[in-house]
Amino acid sequence: MELFLLLGLPPLMAMISFVARENRTRKMVLLLTAFIHLITVASFWCRPHNVQFSPFLGFDALSQLILTFISILFFVVSIYLMGTLKEKGRPNKLFIACLLCLLAAMTLVTMSRHMGLLWIAIEATTLLSAPLINYHRTPQSIEATWKYLLISSLGIALSLLGTLFLAISATTTVKTVFLPDILSHAAFLSPAWLKLSIIFLLVGYGTKMGLAPMHTWKPDTYGEAPSPIGALMSGAITGCAFLAVFRVAQISFHAHLQEFMSPILILFGILSLAIAAIFIMGQKDFNRMLGYSSIEHMGILVLGVGLGGGAIWASLFHMINNAFAKGLIFLAAGNLYQTFQTKKVENIQGVIHRLPVTGVFLIFGLFVLTGFPPFGIFYSELLILKQAITAQRYVVVFFYLLFLSIIFFGLSKIILEMALGKPPEHVHKEIKKESFFMIMPLLILTAVLFFTGIFVPEGLYQAIDEASMLLGGR
Amino acid sequence: MWLELALISIIFLGIVILGNNRLATTIQLFALQSFILSTTPWLIHPGLHAVIMAGVTILLKVILMPTLLFWAIRHVSIRREVRPLIGYGTTLLLGGFLIGMAFLISSKLDLPVRETSNLLVPSAFSIMMIGFLLLVSRFKAITQVIGYLVMENGIFLFALLLLEKTPLLVEMGILLDIFVGVLVMGIVVNHINQEFGSANTINLINLRE
Repeated sequence: MELFLLLGLPPLMAMISFVARENRTRKMVLLLTAFIHLITVASFWCRPHNVQFSPFLGFDALSQLILTFISILFFVVSIYLMGTLKEKGRPNKLFIACLLCLLAAMTLVTMSRHMGLLWIAIEATTLLSAPLINYHRTPQSIEATWKYLLISSLGIALSLLGTLFLAISATTTVKTVFLPDILSHAAFLSPAWLKLSIIFLLVGYGTKMGLAPMHTWKPDTYGEAPSPIGALMSGAITGCAFLAVFRVAQISFHAHLQEFMSPILILFGILSLAIAAIFIMGQKDFNRMLGYSSIEHMGILVLGVGLGGGAIWASLFHMINNAFAKGLIFLAAGNLYQTFQTKKVENIQGVIHRLPVTGVFLIFGLFVLTGFPPFGIFYSELLILKQAITAQRYVVVFFYLLFLSIIFFGLSKIILEMALGKPPEHVHKEIKKESFFMIMPLLILTAVLFFTGIFVPEGLYQAIDEASMLLGGR
Repeated sequence: MWLELALISIIFLGIVILGNNRLATTIQLFALQSFILSTTPWLIHPGLHAVIMAGVTILLKVILMPTLLFWAIRHVSIRREVRPLIGYGTTLLLGGFLIGMAFLISSKLDLPVRETSNLLVPSAFSIMMIGFLLLVSRFKAITQVIGYLVMENGIFLFALLLLEKTPLLVEMGILLDIFVGVLVMGIVVNHINQEFGSANTINLINLRE
C-alpha cells in the first residue's frame, strides 16, 4: 500500500494530468499528489527505520532522511508553483507530468537496494529533469539543457561501467549487486576490480552531484532553469546523487578501502570549494551564483565523508540544512525574477523596498547559507573543521577556511547589495504585490530550517546518528 | 569463431563511423553495429535470456533509435559534419592508438570470471573509447548523440561478461533508460534546429563566464 502511494501514484497522476483539460486542474493534481506523498513518508517515522519491501526495495535510516527532505521540498515547491505557473497560454502538460514522474524516480533512488536499480533511478531523474530545465524554450535554456544532458549522460555512463566493474569483482563470491549482499561480502570482493569500480562510480555519480572538475553543467543549468526547478535540483536531485556517493563510500568502508577512497573525496571537495570561491566573486547572474554555491556545498558534503569520523554526522546534517536553505533562496530568486524580469545582479537592486517580505527572506537565506550561527550549516561546517584538525590534515584545514571565507565574502557582497542597495530611479513601473503563494512556501521553509538547524527534534538526531553509523561515524 | 568475427566487425564499424562525415550514413552505420551487437548474447550463451536481449536490442537500437535520430534531422539542410575539432585523419590515427591502448589495458587486467573469448574485453574497451572520441571531437549534436550511443554499445559488450548474473529486469531497465535518453536528446536536437537554424553545437556559446 505505502509502496503504491510512493512509487505508483505519481506516474498514475502524471497520466491523469496528461488527459486533464485545464492547466488549473493539473496544478491541483500536482499539489494533491505531493501532499499524499508527504503524509505517506511522514507515516514511516512512526516505525523502526529498517523496512524491507522486496529484495530490490527497502529503507534504511539514510534513505528515510533523504526521502523525507525530498518530499517536504517537493511539497513546498508545488505550493509555490500553484501561484507562479501561468494558467493561460501554453499547456503545462509535459511540465507537470515530468515533475510527478521525477518525484517517483527520486523516491526510487532512495528506496533501491540494488546498485543496478539505483543507476536506473538516477538516470531517470536526469532525463525527467531535462524537459523541466527547458521550460522557457529560449536559446539559452536549450543550450543549458543540451550541456546538462550530454555531461550528465556521460557521467551516468561512467557510473554504469563502475556498476559493471562492481558486479565483476563480485562474480567469485556473491554473484549479485544487491546492496546488503555486497556489504556483507565486501571484504572478499576482488580488490583490483573493486578499486576500479569505486573510481568510476565516484566520478560518475560525482558528475551528477556537480563536483568539480565535472561541474561545468551546473552554473548553466541552474542559471537557465526556472527557479522552482532550481530549488528541486539543488535540494532534492543532488541529495539523490549524494545518496549514491554515500552508498559507494559504504561499500569501500566495508571492504576496508577507506585509505583508498578518502583522498579522492577530499580532493573533489577541496577542488569544488576552490572553483566556487573563484567564480562566486563578482558573479553577475544571481542564479548562476547559486549554482556555484551549490557546487561549494556539494564539495563540503564529500569532504565530510572523505574525512570520516565525526565529519560524517556533520555531512548528513549539512545535507539536510543545505537542501532547505537552497530551496528557500531559489524560491526567493523566483520571486525576484517575477518582479524584475531579469537575473542580472546589477538590475536587481533595493529588493527590500520593492518586495519587503522577499527581501527579508533573501537576507535570512544568506545567513543560513553562509553558515551564520546559530543555523545548522554553521554547526556542520564547524564539526567538519574540527574533524580535519583532529585528523591533523592542516593543508585541508587551510584551504577549507580560505575558500569558505572568500565564498562568504562574495555571497554577502552580492546579496546584501541586491537587498539593501538603492533601487534604480527610472524603473518605477507598477509594483506587484507579493501574493500568498509567493510568501507561504518561504515561510514553511524557514520554519523547517529552524527545526533542522536549531531546535532539532530527538527523532531527527537519532536518524542522523543511525545513518552515520552506516559509515562507522560516531 | 563467429563471436570473434562479430566483435571484429563491431570494432571495424566503429572506425568507419569515426572516418565518416555524412550524418545519415553515420546513423545507418550505428544501426548496423547495433544489429551485429544484438547477435552476440546468443553467440556467448544461447538461451531464452539471450533471445529476449537480442529482441529488445534490435527493437530499440536498430529500429527505434535510428528512426528517432532521422526524425530529429529531417529539416537539416546541411547533412555533413562541419569541420571537426580534430581532423578526420588525426581522429582515425587517434582511434587506432586508442584501440591499441584498449588491448594493452585489458591484457593487464585479469578477470575473475571465465572468458568466452579473449577478444571480448579489449573490444568493449575499444568501442567505449571510440565513442568517447566521437563525443568530444565533433560539433554536430547528432554525431555527439551517436558517440554516446557507441559508448553504450561498448558498455553493453562489457555487460555480456555478466550475462547470467544480472537479473533480466535490470538489463531491460538500463536499455529502456538509454532509449528514453536518446528520445529526450532527439527532442532537444530538434529544438536546437528550430532555434538556431542548424544542429551545430558550435552555436551554443551564450552561456560563458
